[in-house]
Amino acid sequence: MKIINRTIFYVAASLIALQFLVPMVWMILSSFKIDSVIYRDISTIYAVVPRFEDLTLKSYRELLSMYNVFRNVLNSLIYASVTVLAGLTINSLAGYALARFHFPFKNAILLFIIALMIVPIEAIILPLYLVVHELGMINTLAGYLIPFFVNVMNIFLFRQHFLSFPGELIEAAKVDGLTEFGSYWRIVVPSSVPMFVTVGILTFLGSWNDFLWPVMAITKSDLMPVQVALNAIFSDTYKIFTSHMMAALTIVTLPIIVLYAVFQRYIIEGAIRAGIK
Amino acid sequence: MFKQYKWSEVVTAYAFLALALLLAVLFIVVPIGKAINYSFTDYYLLKPQEREFIGVDNYRRIFTDELFRQTFFNTVKFVVCVVPLQLSMALGLALIVNRKVRGVGFFRTAYFSPAVLSLVVISILWTTLLNPNNGLINEILMALGLSPQPFLTSPSQAMYTIVVISAWSGCGYQMMIFLAGLSNIETSQYEAAELDGCGPLRKFWYITLPGLKPITMFLVITTTIQAFKLIVQPMVMTGGGPDYSTMTILQYIYEYGYRHRNIGYVSAITVVFTIFLIVVSVLIKKLFREEKA
Repeated sequence: MKIINRTIFYVAASLIALQFLVPMVWMILSSFKIDSVIYRDISTIYAVVPRFEDLTLKSYRELLSMYNVFRNVLNSLIYASVTVLAGLTINSLAGYALARFHFPFKNAILLFIIALMIVPIEAIILPLYLVVHELGMINTLAGYLIPFFVNVMNIFLFRQHFLSFPGELIEAAKVDGLTEFGSYWRIVVPSSVPMFVTVGILTFLGSWNDFLWPVMAITKSDLMPVQVALNAIFSDTYKIFTSHMMAALTIVTLPIIVLYAVFQRYIIEGAIRAGIK
Repeated sequence: MFKQYKWSEVVTAYAFLALALLLAVLFIVVPIGKAINYSFTDYYLLKPQEREFIGVDNYRRIFTDELFRQTFFNTVKFVVCVVPLQLSMALGLALIVNRKVRGVGFFRTAYFSPAVLSLVVISILWTTLLNPNNGLINEILMALGLSPQPFLTSPSQAMYTIVVISAWSGCGYQMMIFLAGLSNIETSQYEAAELDGCGPLRKFWYITLPGLKPITMFLVITTTIQAFKLIVQPMVMTGGGPDYSTMTILQYIYEYGYRHRNIGYVSAITVVFTIFLIVVSVLIKKLFREEKA
């Protein structure tokens, strides 16, 4: 009976796994083929099972000769990193102030932050565009990046985190002559690394995956982040083959696979932490 | 009243907060104010000088705009389908892999794997897979003896296709969150129920589901709000077509506000849409709380 149960589990779980894996396996495998081979194989098992004599880097060479995809990947890596560094600094300092200090209007500011948390940012994307437009910052990196440095949800998460930080440690640091910022930077940040990594990774993914805002804020192709560039390549149907497109998708997905492989624990934790606020 | 504060502490606190508050005001509060302000005008972006106050005309227009009505119902259709589908898939997957057997880690990773794909990658990949002429999915359907389908090229199928793809791509991530919730349920509760002679169905109904309630509420709210903001998939896959059958509210805002520069009218839509989303999330929270009482 136990063996039968187990067999049913493995068969069912494997069949379900196929539905999640086949599209991605086909994407990666097809990026190493030429179109005639992709469509010769499409009604056979070889659509998702590699035969080594079919594999080639031709689609990658052709794609990269037509589009500077690596430039867009590099753009996105830079944009996401800048957003992470600036975001972590700004939001953690604000969260720290709300958790640790006593000052006038503290509760009002906290309520203000919580009220902003329910504003759906995408819904106000048009007036946000107008603000950046009126500041003359459309098609500039400042106009694209700065509006998303502040994240009220992250301010709140940092505040919750710092509330439970032992105050004696900070007092001791101040006795040793550190300033408030000094004790924040030398004592609080180093002992909150997991928190910073979690928020940082989620910020990085959010920036890397963003599409609507860069479509509106960036129209110069050499400044385009990678998601917008992908969509532009996809629209060039007259010169793009399936194999080129799959090569582009694979290139763009590779950094994220690495990121997940290294940080999976933090990513899940962050999603859960945001849920138990 | 300021005597109870330490002067240096107040200065430090505001120094730490200043940049965050400035940016939050500039890029969240000011846009909201602008949207409200412009929503009472006939502002057209290329002619800022000719902006005139026109009262609530824009708001009235929302209710007579046939295309907006259609995008609203398209969006509602997406939400009503995708939220139960995606969450039940996520819960189902979590229940399948919530056991200690060899190889279960592989299945978890497999179900979770679409999380590494961005929405743009998912949209392009699936548009290729669903190509009615030579796509992989129709080849599989034909191999199973089924007839090929038009999918994204058919007004009656396109939105449902986007629903299924979205659930496919999102359920693995939520499975992980359900798994965390499942591991928080005490095993002693199950053991006690077993002693009382409860079968698996009753255990699921009386222990598992109530134990998952807080996490389910969180997932229902976030998924619903996220679903109302659907835009990337139709933008990349269908451009809102065929026959506007997949155009969503946010896409309408993008098309007519950003591309056609119809700022006044779309500002009114922005205001209504923002209030609507806030009301929806408050309502769902209420619903869950009342059920508890």
